Formats: sequence, structure tokens, C-alpha cells
Amino acid sequence: MIGNLPFVACMILVALGLWTLLAKRNLIKLVIGMSLIESGVNLFLVTLGYVRGGIPPIYTFAPEGAPMVLPTPQALTLTSIVIAVATTALMLAFVVVIYRHKGTLDARKIRDLRG
Amino acid sequence: MGTHAPILAIAVPLLGGFALPLLARFHKGLRDAWAIVVALFVSVCAGYVASRVLSGEIWIYVLGAKNPVDTLAPGGFPIRIMLTVDALSAFLGIIAGIIGPLMFLSLIRFLPEEEGKTLSLTLATLLLAGIMGMAYTGDLFNFFVFLEVTSIAACGIIGFRTWTSRAPEAAFKTMLLYALSGLFFLLGVAFLYGEYGALNMAYVSREIRGTTVDRLALALFLSGLLMKAAAAPMHFWAPDAYGETPPAATPLLVVNTQVSLYGLWRVLFTLYGGVLDRGVGWLVVALGLLTMVVAAFMALVQTDLGRLVAYGAVSQIGYMMLGVGVGLVALPGKPPYALVATQGGVFHMLNDALTVGLLFLCVAAVEWVRGTRDLRELGGLGHSLPEVGLCFLLSSLALAGIPPLNGFASKILIYEGSFGLSPILTAVAVLTSILLLAVFVRAFQGAFLGPRVEVGKKVPWQLLLAMGILAVGIVVFGLVPGFFVEKMVGPAAEALFSRSAYLFAVLRG
Amino acid sequence: MGVEILTGQGFWHALVWFAAALGVFLLSLAIWSMGRREFRRGTEAELPFVSGERVEDARVGAPHLYWGFAEALKPFLERLRNFHSGFIGDYVGWFAVILAVILLLVMA
Repeated sequence: MIGNLPFVACMILVALGLWTLLAKRNLIKLVIGMSLIESGVNLFLVTLGYVRGGIPPIYTFAPEGAPMVLPTPQALTLTSIVIAVATTALMLAFVVVIYRHKGTLDARKIRDLRG
Repeated sequence: MGTHAPILAIAVPLLGGFALPLLARFHKGLRDAWAIVVALFVSVCAGYVASRVLSGEIWIYVLGAKNPVDTLAPGGFPIRIMLTVDALSAFLGIIAGIIGPLMFLSLIRFLPEEEGKTLSLTLATLLLAGIMGMAYTGDLFNFFVFLEVTSIAACGIIGFRTWTSRAPEAAFKTMLLYALSGLFFLLGVAFLYGEYGALNMAYVSREIRGTTVDRLALALFLSGLLMKAAAAPMHFWAPDAYGETPPAATPLLVVNTQVSLYGLWRVLFTLYGGVLDRGVGWLVVALGLLTMVVAAFMALVQTDLGRLVAYGAVSQIGYMMLGVGVGLVALPGKPPYALVATQGGVFHMLNDALTVGLLFLCVAAVEWVRGTRDLRELGGLGHSLPEVGLCFLLSSLALAGIPPLNGFASKILIYEGSFGLSPILTAVAVLTSILLLAVFVRAFQGAFLGPRVEVGKKVPWQLLLAMGILAVGIVVFGLVPGFFVEKMVGPAAEALFSRSAYLFAVLRG
Repeated sequence: MGVEILTGQGFWHALVWFAAALGVFLLSLAIWSMGRREFRRGTEAELPFVSGERVEDARVGAPHLYWGFAEALKPFLERLRNFHSGFIGDYVGWFAVILAVILLLVMA
């Protein structure tokens, strides 16, 4: 009934994150945009595993003959979330150091490396 | 031990890197020695893997099972993660195995002790592990994981000099762009997984038809990997990143970029080999030309020696893209000029790693001695640092493609191969080489020629030793290229065109 | 022995290059030997003079080389430098542009 709507919603999240990266100048907002893209991709991965009428993929006390949702995308998504945490932490650490040096978070002013 | 060499080449630097802070508590010298030991171990493993793979057979190493056949589900569906080492992967492993120990040798002396040297050495070891993982893996999601490992480790090293304001800025921009490219690559993997239910490269490659979702995934792969491989117009992070890291650490970053380029070839030739059309090949060729020209012109006006060499490194990536792109354009037919051009592009990866690595080590020596990298203030170092000057001159000539050095050996293959496709490509490539020669003459004059300038410090012997080994490599690869083209580069270039051999090795072996 | 590589249209052999380089070297040696013999190192003859005036520390630094070339191409080079603006939004913008171009190329 909802068809491909979850996938479209995840793509809209990714597009919103990309728009944030393009349009915003605050460094923290850029990191938030990155986190939006990450959320979109992770949601997309989890949504891929859905099987209609499926139960969680655990064998203990599982009813007979019920279809299970795919467990692999869940593992992929967990890995991706961990990587996203590390990436966001590293980016925020560098934002803190940049702020300590420059006193500003405006990306248009942090342009020492140009030319 | 020999049967586990591929996974040891990845696992030992991973675990060894995390053991470094532990060893640093006992004695600093122990930590330095351990870093070199780990890097040498990786080189030995890479060499052993290459000696077995380059004679023809593809090495399939399955994590968790003795035999690849045991891991095929009913229907020929590979379940476990496989390391599929074919000739091109082994070649990339050799490159990492050469550059790794030399870089660690110079890094343990170059980094200042009080500013987090232990953690930087750990990050460099993780970067080496990630590079070997990206080169050897045969699984799409595993490739993504190692891609992100290298991104995070590389950006940690780029931002090492947190007491300046430039390095964290470079590290932030690079991390943002790396993370963006990694996520779009993951999106492409997700599309392919959703369509075919598998992540193994060989299985997906066999099942791919040219549906809309496949094309969408190809576009995502291409944009993500081209960004990570510093193709114009997405190369903007590269001069910042290569210029702001401690110059002794940049050679491994260059190998990181080359391994991302290898990932692009793996996706285009092996994954999509059956359904690719010529437009993508022409796109790669066009972007390669753009990279070459833009980077060479930007290098002309730089005043920072590190950024100048960084732009030179970016333009060499354009040469690699041109060479292998010509092979991609002619993919279904495989005319002789396409094979020659692909050999040139693959050989150039090795030569570029040696040449640019030596250039960055010379920049490190100059920075160590004078404390500055500004070309307006440097000068006259040829009197006090003759060895560094000679190495800089040698590697500049090699980068510009002057015979009889190794840059010429790969560039003549690229020139003659691309001439078969279109003479315009060769003309642009040759003119860019001349322009790069001009750029490096300017850099050499600015840093090394002129009246004598007194310097107080001496270059550390570790740096000189690493530079000497690379210089010997440059000369040797230039004088006897035929041997290496026959034994190493030929099989690697051939592996790009032998998609069916790759599929057969994984799915039926 | 493996010294030569065969390209599609020709070959490269290091000994051939050495023979040619030797010839060029001998030719330049011959021309050099026809020059003036009175130059001695360490005398006034090797000090830098600019327009007849003795100058200490004269050196041709890096910004002076290829200055004419860069000046002549100044409009192009300035435009290129402005592309490398240092602003992260522009860099992500180029990524979006390339993604759009590749999508158009691959889907059509």
C-alpha cells in the first residue's frame, strides 16, 4: 500500500542534507547536514531488509513458517552508524580547534587555504 | 602462514597500530621499532601475495572457511566475505608495501615528540591497514568499510598540527568531502544490494543487467570514487590535504588516493564490465585531461612548496585516468593501443608513488632544515643540502617525464596508447608535461639554487636513507622498465580486461 | 633482458638513449671547449652585478621565474584561482554538479 514511499522519503532526507551542505555557512550546520545524509543512507539500508509480514530474525520462540526480515542490512546499518559516529566526532573536534584559532564558525571567513 | 598472507597484511597493521600506545608506555624507541616492524611485515606479505598472484592465478581467501566452494549457498551465492586478490590488487599491495616502511622510517624522526606522535603513528598504521584492505577485498561493503577507515585515519594525520590554524581547516574540509563521497558510495552499494541481494563483487558483476537502478548506482559510485581520487573538478581538497600534513606523511596519503582510483577501476571494469557504454570511458578521459591541465596551471602560481608539489601530484592522477580511461573507452574490443594505454596508466601508479613520495620527502627535509616552506624566503639550499637537491631534481625530472627516468617509461606508454584513440589527448598530455617541467624548474630554482645560505640543522639520516632508496627505485624503474612491465604491470593491466577470469575464480572455484 | 618496452608504434630502449645522450654530451663538450679560458673562480668575475652596480645577495627567486608567462595568462589564471576559493560550499557544489552530469550521461 505504501509502495516505494519509504525509499523516496530516505532520498528526500539525503537531498535535504546535500542542500544543507550547499546553502549553509555555519560549520556546525555543515556537520548537521552531513549527519542528515548519513541518517538518510542508514534508513535506506534498513528499509531494504523489509519482508512483507516479516518477524524479527530471531530463531528462539519463532512461530513456524513465518518469513523473517533480512538481517544483513541491519548489520550493514550498524556498521555504517558506527562509522558515521566516528566521522562526526572527528569533524566536530576539528571545528572546535578551528574555533579556538579563528573565533568564528563562518565558512566564508575560514578560507586561509585558497588559490 | 603463507596461506593466510592476504588477511595478515590487513590484520597485522590493524592490531599492531592499536598496540603502539601500549608499547609507547614502556619506551619510545620500542614504539618506533614496532611501527617499522609492522610496516616491513606488510611489505613481506604483499610481496609474497604478489609473487603468487602475478604468475596468473587469482587468490581467493575466504574469511572463515577453508575452501571457497564451501561458502556458496545453493544457487551459487557467496555468503562470506572474500578477499579476491588478482594481479591489479597485488600490484597496489606492492606499491603500499614499498611506500609504507619508507614513510614510517622518515615519520618516526620527523614528527615532534610532544605533540601526539604516538597517536599519529597509530593513525598512519591504520591508514596502511585500510589501504591494504581496500586493495585486497572482493566485497563491496567491505570496500566501503576500509574506505571510511582510510578517510578517518588520513584526516587525523592531516590535522596533526593543531597549533596552526591551517591544518585543522584542511582536515575539516577533507573529512567533510571524504565522508560525503563515502556515503554516496554506500548509497550505490545499497541500491545494488536491494536489487540483487548480494554484496560480493563477482556475484553482483555476473547478475548485473543495465536497469535503471543499476545506472543510478553507477552514477553514485562514479561520483563518490572520483571525489576520493581527486579528479577535477572535485580535486579541491587535495592541495589543502597534501600541503598541510607533515610532509613526511604525505606519501601514504598519495597511495590512499591511488587505491581509491583502483576502486574506481574495479567498479567500472569488473563490476560493470559487461554493461558499460562508451560514454563513461569518455567521461573518465575528459576528467583526466581536465585534472592534468587545471592542476598544472595552478601549480605555476603557488608560493608554498608543499602546495606546489601537491598540485603536481594531482596532475599525475590525471595521467592515470587518461591511460586507463582510454582502455575503458575501447573496452568491448580491446585494440592493442588500449592495452598499451592501460599498462601506462597502471605503471604510472607505481612511478607516481615513488616520484611524488620522494618529492614530499625532499619538502620534509627542506622544512626540517629551514622551518619554512615559502618559496619567496627559501633559497641557496643546494650548497648545504646537496643530496636533497639532487633528489629533488631527479624526482622533478621523473615527474615531468624526462628519459631515462621512470616517469618517462609510463608516460610514453600513455602517450602512444592515447594517440591511438585521438591525437588531441596526446598533445594535451605532452604539453602538460612540459608545463610541469616549468613548474618544477621554478620550484628547484626557488629552493635550491642561488647564493649559499647558512643552515643550522642537518637532515636526519632516516630521511636521507628513505630518499636514497626512492631515488634508486626511480632510476632502476626507468632504466629497466621492460622487466617490470612484463612481470608486474602487464598482468595487472590484463586483469582489468579479464572480467570472466575474475568471475570464474570466485563463483566456480 | 627487459630493458626495452614495446609500445604499439615503437619502442623505448635505455641504451639507445644513452648513445644519443653521449653524442649530445660530446657535442656540448666540443662547444664548451671553444669558449674563453680566462675565467677563474673566486675573483671578481663571478660576483653578481645588476646594471653595472655591485649588489650583495642578489638572487633570482622563484616569483621571478616564468613571471612573463604567468602575466600573459593572468585573466585565465586569476579565474582559475577564484575557482579554488577555499569555501567548502563551492566544493560540495562541484560534487553535486558532477553527480548531475554523470546521472544525465548514464541514464540517457
